[in-house]
Amino acid sequence: MTLAATSNLVAELLAGPRPAEWGELREAAETRLAGRDLPTTRDEDWKYTDLKALAGLSFAPAPKATVDISGHLLPEMVGTRQVFVNGHHAPHASCASAVPAGVRFFPMSHASEACHALGSVPNGKSAGLFEDLNTARFQDGAVILVPKNMKVALPLHLLFITQANAPVAVFPRVLVVLERGSELELVEEHHGSGTYLTCPVVEIHVAEGAILRHERVQRDDAEAFHLGTLKAEVAKGGQYHSRTLSFGARLSRQQPWVRLAEGAEASLDGLALLEGQQVADTHSFMHHTEPNASSHQLHKCIVDGKARAVFNGRVRVAPLAQGTDAKQQSRNLLLSESARVDTKPQLEIYADDVKCSHGATVGALDPEELFYLQSRGLNADDARNLLTYGFAADVLTHVPVASLRRALRQLVMARTQAGSLGDLS
Amino acid sequence: MLSIKNLTASINGTPVLKGIDLEIKAGEIHAIMGPNGSGKSTLGKVLAGHPAYEVTGGEVLFEGQNLFEMDADARARAGLFMGFQHPIEVPGVSNASFLRLAYNKKAEAEGRDELDPLEFDDFIREKIKLVSMREEFLDRSLNEGFSGGEKKRNEILQMAVLEPKLAILDELDSGLDIDALRVLGDAVNKLQRADRALLIITHFPRILETIQPQFVHVLSGGRILKSSGKELAVELEERGYDWVLEEAAAGGAR
Repeated sequence: MTLAATSNLVAELLAGPRPAEWGELREAAETRLAGRDLPTTRDEDWKYTDLKALAGLSFAPAPKATVDISGHLLPEMVGTRQVFVNGHHAPHASCASAVPAGVRFFPMSHASEACHALGSVPNGKSAGLFEDLNTARFQDGAVILVPKNMKVALPLHLLFITQANAPVAVFPRVLVVLERGSELELVEEHHGSGTYLTCPVVEIHVAEGAILRHERVQRDDAEAFHLGTLKAEVAKGGQYHSRTLSFGARLSRQQPWVRLAEGAEASLDGLALLEGQQVADTHSFMHHTEPNASSHQLHKCIVDGKARAVFNGRVRVAPLAQGTDAKQQSRNLLLSESARVDTKPQLEIYADDVKCSHGATVGALDPEELFYLQSRGLNADDARNLLTYGFAADVLTHVPVASLRRALRQLVMARTQAGSLGDLS
Repeated sequence: MLSIKNLTASINGTPVLKGIDLEIKAGEIHAIMGPNGSGKSTLGKVLAGHPAYEVTGGEVLFEGQNLFEMDADARARAGLFMGFQHPIEVPGVSNASFLRLAYNKKAEAEGRDELDPLEFDDFIREKIKLVSMREEFLDRSLNEGFSGGEKKRNEILQMAVLEPKLAILDELDSGLDIDALRVLGDAVNKLQRADRALLIITHFPRILETIQPQFVHVLSGGRILKSSGKELAVELEERGYDWVLEEAAAGGAR
């Protein structure tokens, strides 16, 4: 007998027809999913994030739709964008005319032969149910291939938009392959309206000496569920730097997994701004498998209302990975008494010559900082708002695309009531 | 300008100031000196309105107004400024936008025109010359990653932007090399006018060679033990503080 609330959501999501392409991949995922149910808080990995609200809902496959994307365009990325609406490629909203020759940036549905790398990021055990659900049912997705030694000057823009008139499920998919010595900036955004479940999966291969900078913006609807998986494989001397900015969704979970080879570098920075009843969970896994790689994580959350943030930062340093340098910081600002943060580093170190540091802070604003600002003439409210803004904006300082940085700062300003303080950029 | 009468204050129930009397008039420069732990930094923080300190007695009038009826920010807008011994770092907020915000809050309080970002840009470019600050420090986050000396430079820049009536400078010389000390000392002197006053809090007399006070007070054990002219600073430089403490003890007044 089981006391767990059971749902038939997994079976329901799999009930629709299996898309034709990548049959073996999908079949394997379906096999893993057979008999599975949503995790409950009795699963160690989901201890602090309750999916009960999701279990009570029912989602249909998302129909094709058209949306106005004019509000999402960024001037630096005119002609380098692919847009997906409800998981389907939107050819009329997309424009890849400025993508340099040699770079391949197209929907998966157009070129299945180029996607042989799909599903090939080694990940030890599977990242889990939501990755498998995506693999079993994704409709389309983006493929990015950057050839050897090409340094792409313009950032590429991926827009995933969900328009849900009734509850729908979408499974965005991204495959990024950077060949040896290449460089790319990628902006990935998720927007939407209505009640929906989105389970994006992003797979990344960074070859020797290649560099990927990846900005990720989650602005899903306040009624949406966003359960994302990211897996990056960084080869010798390669670099992967990502920044995940979570603003939306009723419940979101990010699972970035990064595997570093010799001398590789990775950063996984994050910012979550939460209010009301929002829940944002980040379960990261930084896996040092070879010597002399370095990793860096700065994860910040601002939690207001009855919202809740969860951070579990797993770092594994394999026996071979001597000379590892791994830093992790989780900093959390609580703006209300009912807000809650659960943060936990999880270090598994099997090599002896390593530098690993981690730290976590949870609290309110520092009275010394408030006093400093007040002593310059800002009233208590302005001082609080400015410090809250600064706490968040700190993560945005190095966003490379100026118009995106500006837009994000404005968003943070609005969410931290710092708007009344004027232009702070 | 500032009139302190029998001021007592405590932190976490422990008395730190035990009856301070001090009169500062417009145009004057006063120095408060004393050994470590004497309460001199506390005096600055109490005057600036630090919330951790409780005023337990006495009275302070600033330009005729009861200082303790004003919050820290109201004191600042009324023309009181404290240069911090350890300025706070605020990541994510650019130095320039913070300075403009502070300037405009004060301008608003005084009924003057606020400056938009372009106007402020011209204004601040002039001000940074006064403290020999490089322009890149305007774009960086407020004090973040600044060296001790750069932070002090930024404090005096803030003073130059806000043009306070009374500036309290707490250990301005700590973390400064000789050249930076001279630059900042000169800047403070240029900002001093007949309608303004300065209160310099310092352990070491060195800074008083550049910013020359008319009045020097020795604070110890939460009380002012001795007040005199600037020659007292020279004597303290030569003889240290012990003799003042001994003299006070021998006086047996308390």
